[in-house]
Amino acid sequence: MVSSYSYIKYFKKEFILGPTFKMLEVAFELLMPFLMSYIIDTGIMAAEQYGDYTKIVLPGIIIFLFAVLGLCSTLVCQHFASIASQGFGTRLRNALFEKIMNMSLRNVELIGKGNLNTALSNDINRLQVSVAMMIRLVLRAPAIVIGSLICAFIIDWQVALIFLGVVVLISIVLFIILFLSSKKVVLIQKKVDELVTLTNDSLNGMRVIKAFNNEKVEVNKFKNKTKSYYDEMKSVNFINALTNPLTFLIINIAILLVVYFSKDQIIYEGILTTGELTSLIQYLNQCFVALIAVSNLVIIFTRAFASKKRVDYLLNLKEDLENNPKFAPFSIQNGENLIKFDDVSFHYNEGENNVVKNLNFDIFKGEKVGIIGGTGSGKTTLIKLIERFFDRSNGTIFYKSKDIKDYDLNALHQEISLVNQKAVLFKGTIRSNLQIAKKDATEEEMIEALKEACAYDFVKKFPDFLDHEVEESGKNFSGGQRQRLSIARALLKKSEILILDDSTSALDYLTEKELKNNVFHKSDLTTLVIAQRVSSIINCDKIIVMYHGEVENIGTHEELLKKSSVYKEIYLSQYGEENVN
Amino acid sequence: MSIKARLFTYIKRYPLYLVFSLFAALIFVTAMCITPYLVGKAIDEITYFLQDNTVDLSCNFLFYLIFAGILVVLVLIFEFLFEYINSIFVEKISKDLKDDVFTKLNEVPISYIDQNAHGDLVSRVINDTDNINVALVSGFRQLYQGIIQILVTFIVMFILNWILGIVVVVLTPLGFLISYKLAHKTNKYFKGQAKIVGELGATSLEYINNIDLVKSYKFEKEIIDEFASKNADLYKVGQKAQFSGSLTNPITRLINNSTYAIVGMIAAVLCALSFNNSSMILGASCTVGTVLTFIQFSNQFAKPFNEISSCIPEIQTGYSSLLRLNKILNEDNDVNLGKENLGEEVKTIDFNNISFGYEKDKIIIKDFNVNIKEGEKIAIVGPTGCGKTTIINLLLRFYDPVSGNISFNNVDTKDIKKESLRSVFGMVLQDTWIFSGTVRENITYAKRDASEEDIIEACKKSNCLDFIERLPNGFDTYIDDYSGLSVGQKQLISIARVMLVNPKIMILDEATSNIDTRTEMKISKAFNILMKGKTSFVIAHRLSTIVNSDLILVMKDGAIIEQGKHEELLNKKGFYYELYNAQYAQNN
Repeated sequence: MVSSYSYIKYFKKEFILGPTFKMLEVAFELLMPFLMSYIIDTGIMAAEQYGDYTKIVLPGIIIFLFAVLGLCSTLVCQHFASIASQGFGTRLRNALFEKIMNMSLRNVELIGKGNLNTALSNDINRLQVSVAMMIRLVLRAPAIVIGSLICAFIIDWQVALIFLGVVVLISIVLFIILFLSSKKVVLIQKKVDELVTLTNDSLNGMRVIKAFNNEKVEVNKFKNKTKSYYDEMKSVNFINALTNPLTFLIINIAILLVVYFSKDQIIYEGILTTGELTSLIQYLNQCFVALIAVSNLVIIFTRAFASKKRVDYLLNLKEDLENNPKFAPFSIQNGENLIKFDDVSFHYNEGENNVVKNLNFDIFKGEKVGIIGGTGSGKTTLIKLIERFFDRSNGTIFYKSKDIKDYDLNALHQEISLVNQKAVLFKGTIRSNLQIAKKDATEEEMIEALKEACAYDFVKKFPDFLDHEVEESGKNFSGGQRQRLSIARALLKKSEILILDDSTSALDYLTEKELKNNVFHKSDLTTLVIAQRVSSIINCDKIIVMYHGEVENIGTHEELLKKSSVYKEIYLSQYGEENVN
Repeated sequence: MSIKARLFTYIKRYPLYLVFSLFAALIFVTAMCITPYLVGKAIDEITYFLQDNTVDLSCNFLFYLIFAGILVVLVLIFEFLFEYINSIFVEKISKDLKDDVFTKLNEVPISYIDQNAHGDLVSRVINDTDNINVALVSGFRQLYQGIIQILVTFIVMFILNWILGIVVVVLTPLGFLISYKLAHKTNKYFKGQAKIVGELGATSLEYINNIDLVKSYKFEKEIIDEFASKNADLYKVGQKAQFSGSLTNPITRLINNSTYAIVGMIAAVLCALSFNNSSMILGASCTVGTVLTFIQFSNQFAKPFNEISSCIPEIQTGYSSLLRLNKILNEDNDVNLGKENLGEEVKTIDFNNISFGYEKDKIIIKDFNVNIKEGEKIAIVGPTGCGKTTIINLLLRFYDPVSGNISFNNVDTKDIKKESLRSVFGMVLQDTWIFSGTVRENITYAKRDASEEDIIEACKKSNCLDFIERLPNGFDTYIDDYSGLSVGQKQLISIARVMLVNPKIMILDEATSNIDTRTEMKISKAFNILMKGKTSFVIAHRLSTIVNSDLILVMKDGAIIEQGKHEELLNKKGFYYELYNAQYAQNN
């Protein structure tokens, strides 16, 4: 079990020295009222009676020196704290990012990409802040409280008992308020989420709203929501408005009690002086400030622990894909069995419905295979099983006649080129994007791939050619250009299998046809084309028709028109009745 | 409206809150300032007794303590009232602001909604109002509590001892000045940090969102290295930012502690002097009680100054949020000057010499003329992204033409009330709109008083009754845009929504290939029921469904380049001919 906080171990020095210097500052701070009481009791007397002002000025200068020394030691502490917490955050961020990059796709999908991004930014930031606070405040605040208590006991143990009562009372009040308002905060967050959803909904549907003349309805819906948000805020504000007045009350009643009880101690018993009384009052005030700081710390740490839980979960996530390679992929002859699905099913979690079930089919080397079916028919899952992004739940998948699990995962991924539905380019240049597929690709190889992918024509128009800039997610290219570039990238990889997952949808019919001819021309390259359009797969050697997670039928276009009702339906919907014959 | 006037319109809505909170602030701050004075007085009574034990101690001593006790209770009550009233006041303003901005978003021309990122607008409504809330709360606290506290402490200090008063007044703002200067100097680290945090976020977002690609090309290592090197940059600037950010508190403490030392010293000297020769320091005589009182005063006086430094960024953020909101609130409303009501029937729709462009200098439709009669079926075709929705935007007056006019029953649409014009249309867009709510709420959106029979009838006709009944809670199932409904199911629900109203003119956007064939069949059946006998505009993706239309408008790059019936267009051998052949090319 790796804990997020285990990265603290790299900052032992800072964790020891930081708080040590902080304690030094606390000591200076606690000594000041002692000196002040010396000034009041001894200094004033000496000045009054002997005209000796040194007993006032000297302690005063010492207090000032303590203040400066206090600052210096705090600065040392803050310095260590910033190194440790920023360093901690940096290491943890790297570790988590590496973990995420090595996660199986199944886990990524289960957890959600949004959540992973949040963990990487918000959660780690909170943990980082909490580490800084550990060094800077976690010891300081309690030390001031305890130190003030000890000083009070040294001065007068009976009066100090009032101190103890105050500390306990304020702590109770603060924690009750924190508890009540933290419960409300959850409710309020929900209300805010509702407001966000409603605003989003309305903006997205503005045309429909206006077409139905329903603007007023929306506004009223919104006003009702802001009203109930307002009501929640009112009650949380009521609780929060109590914090300052209540703590002020407790502290000041305590001061009054201290003054009241010390009267007899000073006058009749002579065990307390007025100077000491003033320092008691100052200790009370210091306590007060420190306790408020503690309550802020509680908020910071409750948040940090929630974040720690999420980050720890991710760091400790067991990889569900085992990699115990028995074979390296080897080459086979055209026509030999490349992929075989034997009664394969897949579900995300035990007990859930199968996403795909009882898949049985063979793909031979060099074949051009089309896969067609509606949304949610399981096409994409099938691809992910072939890439072994997921492991099947039942049945066996054979790759080159051996169980796919017996290959090295990395080597397996090397065998397959994937072009996604969403053609993705990364920030960089065209060249850097192509090099992702083959680091040492020569310019000739790149140009060839671009030509095959029908991308050369537009790339050559750029004055900087291959070094043309690609902005984030390739947004400076049109959808069709992105698709062609990502196909070029896939072709450059020189793999055993090329998978085109609905990756020509933005191309016009003619370009799509030309591109497909180029690809289909490579007789060694086994190609899987996933499509919604019949026209994209009509020429394939074999078409697999997926329907509700199952293979409905397999055959060529002509065969399927005869035997597959699903295929025929798809075909009809796209071509119309009159074109069937 | 200027930003000041805008803020004032909200503030002046609740004058009583302002008066009450000022009143409460006056009482509690004064009480708070006098308490240490009374405690000092009580301690002085002890000193007097020590010097001369014939004085009656308990009477005065008790009076001061009890008086202080009463003041403390007053502080409790009025500080609570102050904080509570203040927060309610601000919360009311922030509710009004939210409501007004949202209302405004419903009133501006649709082009405004189209041109602004929705995420951004949502952030205006939620985050900006929240920022203003925070700024107002701390602003008013500073304005009332802070200023009153400074004033009252100032006055009491000078009445009590002018020399000590001067010392405190001179030293305290000094600390404030130093931390302000410091914050100014270290600002660059924070700016640098924000920039790198943004970059790092963008990097991880890009790679995490495309992790399948990363895996299939096996370049995790490069990415991890790239991330680590950006992260290392973040460390460098972040550490400095953190360190300089953590300086404010210690420096404030240094100033407070030095003031403490100096005030203590001077007060003690004054004590001794006044004991020997009180006439020498007129109006500045001092006692032990005064020393204590002033030590506390120096804290009280410094507090508002220290807090200003933490509230300035809040107020700055709030100010820029208010600027943004003010910009939205100052937007012009959609023009709706028409007075005519559209009659029961729409016999003719005419586009007369229409020119239009989304940007004034980029005309995409030029001199477009078409005359449509009741019951005709109009198809709009063209490649994706060619601007087929433009026609809808013009018909429903989401946008107005640059020149020319559209008339219904020979009345210019500009003279027709927008509500009246829009109520004759039923619209099913490809981007279906499902809002968070129950299925019933979604279906009865345009006719909330629909009877159960009507709803079921509409759902039957739209082919969505079976699947709605299979949902966990039937019609009362809570749905939203992200819930488990498929694209096709969402479209069926929005068809039922229109079916329930049964308007005179239909605008239908055909489903794209993202829908499986069976659902697609259902949808096109429902479309046919909707269109029966009505004037209809169909945005078509498959040419096979529109060959029988009365009029086909062919669009390309935003412009209408051809119009006519199917055969006419084929004979023309133009773009439509090309499109038509391309779709069937691979079949032959």
